[in-house]
Amino acid sequence: MTAEITRYDLYNRRRSTVWYAVGMALYMLVIVALYPSFKHSSELNKLTQGNSPLAALFGATGTLTSPAGWMNVNAYANFLPLIILLLTIGYGASAIAGQNEDGMLGLLVVLPLSRRRILAGKTTTMIVQALILDLTVAACVYVGRVFQVTLDPWHVATATLAVLLLGIDFGLIALALGATTGSRSTAIGITSALAAACYLVSSLAPVVHWIRPLRFASLFYWAVGHQPLTNGARPGSFAVLLAVAIAAAIAANTAFRRLDIR
Amino acid sequence: MTPAIETHGLTKSFGATLAVDRLDLRVEPGQVFGFLGPNGAGKTTTIRLLLALHHPTAGSARVFGLDSSRDSVAIHARCGYLPGEFELPRRMTGLRVLDWFARARGHVDQRWRDELVERFDVIVDRQIHELSKGNRQKLGIVLAFMHHPELLVLDEPTSGLDPLMQNEFQRLLRETIAEGRTVFLSSHELDEVQRVADRVAIIRAGRLVVTDTVDRLRQRAPQTIELRFATPVAPSVFESLGGVQRVTADGDRITLQTTGQLAQLLRVIADHDPVDVVARHADLDELFLSYYRQAGPGDDR
Repeated sequence: MTAEITRYDLYNRRRSTVWYAVGMALYMLVIVALYPSFKHSSELNKLTQGNSPLAALFGATGTLTSPAGWMNVNAYANFLPLIILLLTIGYGASAIAGQNEDGMLGLLVVLPLSRRRILAGKTTTMIVQALILDLTVAACVYVGRVFQVTLDPWHVATATLAVLLLGIDFGLIALALGATTGSRSTAIGITSALAAACYLVSSLAPVVHWIRPLRFASLFYWAVGHQPLTNGARPGSFAVLLAVAIAAAIAANTAFRRLDIR
Repeated sequence: MTPAIETHGLTKSFGATLAVDRLDLRVEPGQVFGFLGPNGAGKTTTIRLLLALHHPTAGSARVFGLDSSRDSVAIHARCGYLPGEFELPRRMTGLRVLDWFARARGHVDQRWRDELVERFDVIVDRQIHELSKGNRQKLGIVLAFMHHPELLVLDEPTSGLDPLMQNEFQRLLRETIAEGRTVFLSSHELDEVQRVADRVAIIRAGRLVVTDTVDRLRQRAPQTIELRFATPVAPSVFESLGGVQRVTADGDRITLQTTGQLAQLLRVIADHDPVDVVARHADLDELFLSYYRQAGPGDDR
């Protein structure tokens, strides 16, 4: 019956999930198709010379003309996490708080299902949505071989998992905040602000001296800060991302159990 | 016999607002229990406490002898619920909604569900956002009844229904009771409740005012007596009598309501040369309104 909760929310979000995936696929295909035009551009690499904070702000560090650098600056360091976070934070805030505000949650909670199982169903929905988007991007990266975007498949898998975990972390934080406050807009606002702060810290840490010690507090740092497309897996990072997800899930469960449902 | 519903000192507050105040209720199985009160009296909050949608600030609620908070899953398996206000996914058709809830419950008699759809003329092939309030309400009724629950908790169930459907709904309630199941019916409409309820409770400002059978409440209801005298009589003559209330005068006519013994009143009337006396049957509406009137304007609870 937990699976029915997942099916219910997936069905009701099918249009947005599909359009997110279609939009992201089109963007990614354009990016990989453009790569041959930029792969020999020395001008591009000048952007990151001298540790420019502006370039770092857009996630551009290191060599940009390599396949990994190109995909990193155009997707994995910024755009892909941003889109996945839009999806997971949006869903996380609406799954409990939003549906409660809309008067839809009462009929679900009186089903013979514990709140823990309802939450498990909704968490699964979030993971499936993020996974669809994440795998769509990974498939486009694979297609990129046609355009000389040749990447180590293991590194792509690592980056895919890291971005997925990042999205789940923030989605679960939004879910927990929504279940705690009962307010969708509060959950979206606080989680988005937190995500923006994490992004800034992680992006600027390599080039701004005083920000550097703060990087450990940024989930972006643990997910994409070490450029998994270039450097591969860093097990400690996954452990941190997983631990945050578990902690947020526990917090969401505790808050949901206490929440008064309309 | 284990009561279908039992609450002891059930209390719920939202910050400084006390929505339900030390409520003691007992609903026996196999009856329609009418739960009446003006808007904002605490009816919906009580229902949400019974179904563990809300958590009590103090006191306890038991359904079929099970603790409403601790055993909520077991209770939900035996309950059907129609909220006073509810929304369903806008882009789902009625049929898909019914199918989904049937799968999520895991046990629904398909033939019974289809019979309910037919009886209430539920539109199932359109998306929810295309349905009127009444048609959504009918869908809600099917959702509440389709799994043959032992206890039905219904919050303003006929809201938005036309008279034909209200009759069909009352017929469904009678069938439900005939099968030995229990209905907890919350409403602010006396007519709706007194037609079907065996027992009634009135809640006002979060507190239980009265609970009794409809027949006994009827006996307790005030009698209205209209009097005409040969010459005008001062209302104060009657106002001091025990049980007499709401005395109004209009020339040689006096109208009063009484819940007390009639002997003394009749003696006083006789002393003032009456030319006409009309006593109306006990007015249940007036009784309920008198309970309602004592309530100040409340917040929604």
